[in-house]
Amino acid sequence: MKSLEARLARLALKGDQSAFAELVGLYQDKLYHMAYRMLYNRQEAEDVVQDTFLRVYKNLERYDDSLKFSTWIYRIATNLCIDRLRKRKPSYSLDAESNDHEGLDGYSMIPSDNRTPESELLLSETQHIIHQAIETLPAKYKSVMVLRYLQDMSLQEIGDVLEVPVTTVKTRVHRGREFLRKKLEHKL
Amino acid sequence: MNCNVAIVWMHDYLDSELPRDDVLQLKNHLLSCTACRVRYEQLERTEALMRSKMDSPAIMDSEQSARLTQRIVSQFPAKRRRATGWTRWIRKHPAVSVAALFAIVMFSSFVTMWQQDTQLSISGADLAQLVIDGDTVTVPEGVHIQGDLTIENGKANVLGDVEGNVTVIDGQLYQASTAHISGQVKKIDQALDWFWYKVTQSISSLAY
Ligand SMILES: [Zn+2]
Repeated sequence: MKSLEARLARLALKGDQSAFAELVGLYQDKLYHMAYRMLYNRQEAEDVVQDTFLRVYKNLERYDDSLKFSTWIYRIATNLCIDRLRKRKPSYSLDAESNDHEGLDGYSMIPSDNRTPESELLLSETQHIIHQAIETLPAKYKSVMVLRYLQDMSLQEIGDVLEVPVTTVKTRVHRGREFLRKKLEHKL
Repeated sequence: MNCNVAIVWMHDYLDSELPRDDVLQLKNHLLSCTACRVRYEQLERTEALMRSKMDSPAIMDSEQSARLTQRIVSQFPAKRRRATGWTRWIRKHPAVSVAALFAIVMFSSFVTMWQQDTQLSISGADLAQLVIDGDTVTVPEGVHIQGDLTIENGKANVLGDVEGNVTVIDGQLYQASTAHISGQVKKIDQALDWFWYKVTQSISSLAY
């Protein structure tokens, strides 16, 4: 039995625009979420999502449906995020932090109806600590941790997305978790 | 039990990968070793914090989501869309598909013809601020271009503002989230338009 995505992909390949739009609808927000957690920048996260779908569209012919569609699309998106992280100059994260306040949690995290000054302050402090902890993770750990915590993927799925053996994923999860534990030690 | 083994097992346990028998052994160790117990509690809290805080649904509101969808869907290359309308048309009019087939042969030679002339050309009122790299024309972020912009045989990469129409002939258009185009955005595929024109012509000549 074919998955919904595989069927939509096949229709899109035949030129069905609405099928492709449906794929966008299924994955856009999830991908944005992931890209935002990897990059901590709204603009860049949107660009990554847009780029991902452009690549999906261009490579539909080459999509092999023995691979889960979600694995394929997450692979494209994480690779784009990792590329961006690698291209960043070391000073970038500092710049981003001072300029990109809009992207810096707190304010944007809270649904607008309970955006009271107190909750904003409280949330932004915890969020800020977590943000900093994740931000300092090296790219290869970051991608594993984001897929694990945000997308709730199994170690096997993460291995498929990143094209690394499960044992490697396991080691990265362990190291990443230890890294975050040390960063958050005093706040826990 | 060795503490180093216990640490590996803690992680395996948090990954739900520790066999049941080992779980019991780990629990016994944690009861007797304070250092490992403290470490495990920290790991558990890290795990819970990451899971709960990373997933904030309010990260993108429905308005931003809709805008992004719009941007993605509007990026689809015009070619494939055009091709579909055309295939459907052939299916509905089998009688003329022979003529169409003939036209395809013509079409491929036209494409080659069009492709021979692939020099990038740009026209517009305000070209000084554009960045041209190979066949890519970029409107840099923060830059305001006054008036229309037409790009032929190249890629348009719009990051800044254009106060006018943007037309891309035989090329691709990429609009970043920072882009603002006040006028119309048009993509023209000359080879296909030409082809379409030819097909309609041969049909009318067959009919009369
Ligand atoms: Zn111990």
